[in-house]
Amino acid sequence: MSSVMKIENLQAKIGDKQILKGLNLELEAGKVHAIMGPNGAGKSTLSKALVGHYDIEVLDGDITYKGKSIVEMEAEERALEGIFLSFQHPVEIPGVNNAYFLRTALNAKRKHEGKEELNAAEFLRLMKSHLEMLGMKSDMISRSLNEGFSGGEKKRNEILQMLILEPEVIILDEIDSGLDIDALRAVSEGINKMKDGKRTFLVITHYSRILDYIEPDYIHVLKDGKVIKTAGPELVPYLEEHGYDGIEEE
Amino acid sequence: MNMEETIANYKEDFDLFSTADEKLEYIFDLGKRHTTLPDEEKNESTFVQGCASAAWLVGECQDGRLILRGEGTSEMAKGMLTLLLDIFSNRPADEILAFDPAKLQDLGIIELLSPVRQQSLEAFLKMVYAYAQKCKEGV
Repeated sequence: MSSVMKIENLQAKIGDKQILKGLNLELEAGKVHAIMGPNGAGKSTLSKALVGHYDIEVLDGDITYKGKSIVEMEAEERALEGIFLSFQHPVEIPGVNNAYFLRTALNAKRKHEGKEELNAAEFLRLMKSHLEMLGMKSDMISRSLNEGFSGGEKKRNEILQMLILEPEVIILDEIDSGLDIDALRAVSEGINKMKDGKRTFLVITHYSRILDYIEPDYIHVLKDGKVIKTAGPELVPYLEEHGYDGIEEE
Repeated sequence: MNMEETIANYKEDFDLFSTADEKLEYIFDLGKRHTTLPDEEKNESTFVQGCASAAWLVGECQDGRLILRGEGTSEMAKGMLTLLLDIFSNRPADEILAFDPAKLQDLGIIELLSPVRQQSLEAFLKMVYAYAQKCKEGV
């Protein structure tokens, strides 16, 4: 197995509460990994720990990305290296134009990769091509980042960021929450567009519905801060029927 | 790509932006490609008279083609120079002389320039046409 990210004995806390309690997980490059688990299992904490979110304090363990430890890396450095997180609750930033925000992020990444920056017109063409595919209105370009966006618009905007930044490891934290069926389909289409056999996805979800659209290769069940089971997609219907209670730690 | 096609391409770019501010910012953005002139080329004869901020324009004739190089000191001048040099530089002198500068209006940005900036543009064009005329005459 060609691993892109390896998480070993990860222990992390938010505030005074330890959430991750020795989590082990290996992400195979180019595959779609789904993380499922009951509320409070540590799914969002895991996603935040992987991107270096300031809420999280890592107590022990290691995360290696392409063979290099990233635990001490700043969040922006991890982003430049190609790790992307779509937030469960995207932040509203009044006064920051959506297009400026995205272009600044993209050009920072291009600069990091030794590529030429895109000018405003080149960027706008790129953005507009994705907007249409995601069924987003063109006024999203000039509106303030996420300000006054509906739940569905915020999630589509997260996917827009993903499409533009073209990351290598894509972590989607409950991207399906609050989406109606049309939005879910558009978001899934955006995700499937990025599946190229090289990019790796970590899809955190409560429901199997999105997994009908984004076919996962692996299902990892997270419970009480640890991965207790890893299986193929055949586990999904079992979980739907029986819940997490019957799953025993392997 | 001839001068009119270059203008059409830029028009397509400017049409992407919905507000005047965005169009002006795109001009500033173009200025990132702006190059400078060596100090010895910045003199009275290359100085663009009447420009809102200091700017210089050098014209050289090579086999009947006019090669233009310029330097502006403000962000606006840098952006406008980059845009205008893309349109006017490295063209046969005849093509420049036959070009109607009113076609620059097609860009949809000239009206966004302040009266002082519009004067600067006229001063720039006057120099370009003078260089082109000299080039044609082989002076």
